[in-house]
Amino acid sequence: MIIPILAQAAHPDSSSPLSTIAVVVLVVYMLLLLLLGYLGYRRSKATEEDFYLAGRGQGFLVTVMTIMATFFSSAAILGIPGNVYKDGAAFVLFALNLPVAGACIYLFGTKIRRIGQKRNYVTQGDMIADYYGDTGLIRLLVALIGFLYVLPYVIMQIKAGGYLAQGMFPDAGSMRFFGREFGMFQLGATALSFVTMFYVLIGGMRSVAWTDVLQGFLVFGGMILAAIATIVALGGFSGFFEKVSTLPPEALALPGPSKTWHPSTLMTICIFSSIGSLIQPAQWIRLYAARNDNTLKRSSLVFAIVLPPCFIFGIMLVALGGRALFPPEITAEGIVPHPHIGEFDQIVIVMVKEQLPEMLGTLGIVLVAVILVAVLAASMSTADSNLHALSAVLTRDVYDRLLRPRSSERERAWVGRAVIVFATLLALGLVTAGHDNENFAPLKKIADLMFAAVAFACQLLPLTLDMLFFRKGTKAGAMAGMIAGIFAVFLFTPFPYALFGDTSLMEQIGVTTGKLKKLFDLGFCGLVVNCVVFAGVSCFTRRLAPDHVKSFAADMGIDSSSHD
Amino acid sequence: MSKATKEKTRRLGIILFALFAFALLMGPGPGILIINPDPADPDATRFLLGMPIVYVWAVFWLGVQGLCVTLAYLFIWRKSDA
Repeated sequence: MIIPILAQAAHPDSSSPLSTIAVVVLVVYMLLLLLLGYLGYRRSKATEEDFYLAGRGQGFLVTVMTIMATFFSSAAILGIPGNVYKDGAAFVLFALNLPVAGACIYLFGTKIRRIGQKRNYVTQGDMIADYYGDTGLIRLLVALIGFLYVLPYVIMQIKAGGYLAQGMFPDAGSMRFFGREFGMFQLGATALSFVTMFYVLIGGMRSVAWTDVLQGFLVFGGMILAAIATIVALGGFSGFFEKVSTLPPEALALPGPSKTWHPSTLMTICIFSSIGSLIQPAQWIRLYAARNDNTLKRSSLVFAIVLPPCFIFGIMLVALGGRALFPPEITAEGIVPHPHIGEFDQIVIVMVKEQLPEMLGTLGIVLVAVILVAVLAASMSTADSNLHALSAVLTRDVYDRLLRPRSSERERAWVGRAVIVFATLLALGLVTAGHDNENFAPLKKIADLMFAAVAFACQLLPLTLDMLFFRKGTKAGAMAGMIAGIFAVFLFTPFPYALFGDTSLMEQIGVTTGKLKKLFDLGFCGLVVNCVVFAGVSCFTRRLAPDHVKSFAADMGIDSSSHD
Repeated sequence: MSKATKEKTRRLGIILFALFAFALLMGPGPGILIINPDPADPDATRFLLGMPIVYVWAVFWLGVQGLCVTLAYLFIWRKSDA
C-alpha cells in the first residue's frame, strides 16, 4: 500500500540531520505554496470563469505543468516504481501510455477548448449536456462519474500527508486541542488539508495551477535525481548494467513474477487508463482554461516527449536497480518485498535515502528531503486539482442546474467555496477516523473505489469521441451507455457483494470479473459494455437535430465539408 | 491551406496515426511476444545493449510514438487553423 510507506520514509531518529533538514525543506515548500496561493488571489477576479478557469488565459508553461502534475499523484514516485520493483522489466512497458495521453491533449483538447470558449462552458457536464440535451439525468450521471473519480483521490492524498508527517517526526509527542489529543498523523493530514484548502479557496484555478508548476518541477526533478543517484551509487552505467544482469529470468519477461502483465492487460491499460485519466473533470477544466490552441499543441508535444524519459530513464531505473540489490522473496503468500524494503512502493525512498547521503553528505541529505517533499507535492497537486474540480462539478452541474437554477453568480461563488471546505473537512474526518480505527468501514469502502476511479472516468470516453469526431449518437444512447458502463465497473468492486451478499450469481460474477481483470484494463471492460449499449440504443432512438450537430461542429472549429 | 496541401496533410495524419497504433500493438501489445524471452529457456536472449531486452523494446517503441507526435506537431498541428 502506497500510503503507509511514507510513515517509514524519514530517518527514525528525530534528532538526525535528515529530520532537521526535512523540516526546513517542508516549511519552505509550504510557505512557497501559500505565497503562490496568495499571488493567485491577488491576480484573480470575482467571477466564476476566473475562479474555475483562470479567465481562460493560461499560458503554455502553466498549462503543461498543471496537466502533467494533475495526471500523476504519488503513484509517480511510489506506485509505478513499486510495480517495476515487484515485476521487473514487464511493467516498464507501462510508460508507453504517456504519449497516448499526450497526443489526446491535442486531439481532444483543441476542440474542447474552442467550443468551451465560444459557449462559456465551465465543466464537462456543460458541454455534454449542451450537445445531447440538458436533462437532469445526463448532468447527474456526468457529475456522478466525476465524483466517483475525485473523492477517493482527495482522501488518499490527505492520508499521504498524515503518514509523511508521522514519518518525519516520529518522536514528536501529541498535542492537545479542545480537550482532544492529536498525534503527528492527524496534524500532518490537517496541515496538508488546510494548506491545500486555503490556496484553492482564495485563488481558485490560478493558485491551483501555479502551485502545480512548483509541484511538477519537484516531482519530475525528483524522478531524474533519484535515477542519477542510483546509477552513480552502483558504479556508473557499467556497474548498473552488471547489477541488472543479475535479475532472475522471470523479472526480465512478461508476464512478470506475479503473472499480472499480459500483453492484453498492458495494451488496454496504455490506451484506456491514460485516456480515462485525461478526460476526468480536473483535466477537462484545464483544457478549457488554456489560452489558445497553440498552448495545447505545445503542451501535447511536451507531455508526449518529456514525461516518458522521466519514467523510463528516471524512476523506473531506480526500481530496476533496487530489484537487483534487494530482490523480492517468493513465499507461500506470493511475492513479498525484501525485508529491508518493507513495502513495494518504498523502493525509491529506500534507494535514495541510502545512496544520496553517502555520496553527497549534507547535500545528499538535502536532496533526500527534497525527494520526500516531492512525494508530498505529487499528492497535493492531485488533491488541489480534484478539490477544485469537485467544487465546479457540484456547484455548476448539481446546485445551479438542478437545485437552484436562478442562483446568482455571487451565490454560486459562495456555494463553490463551501463545497471545497465541506469536502476537505469530510475527507479529513474520514481519514482521521480511519487512522484511529483500521476497520472503519466508510474509509475502507472508499479505498476499494480508488482502483476503479480511472475506470469510472473512462466511461465518458464513448460520448467524448462521439461529440468530437463521430456525432452519430443520441441522447438516450449516451445515457444508457453511461449507466451500463458505470454498472459494469461496479461489478469489479466489492460493493455488489456488500449489497447482494454471497449468492451463486454473485459468485459467478466474481469468477468472470476475476478472469477479465487478469486479461484487460478495468476501464476497457466497462467501455466495451458502454459502447455496445451506446451504439445499440442510438440505432433505435431519435437522432439529434442536424442543425444543432452542425452548429456544434462549427463551434469546435470543424469544417463542415470535412468528416474529421 | 490549398486543397492539395490539405490532402497531403490528411495523408500524413493517417500514416502517423497508423504508425502510432502499430507502436501500441508492438510495444505493450501482442508484438512484445516476438522478443519476450521464455524464463524456462536458458538460451533465450534476455539482454540487449546491457539492458533487459523488454526494456530496450519499450524504449524503442516509445521513441516511435514520440517521433509520431513530434512529426504531427511540426507538419500537421502547426499548420491547422487557430
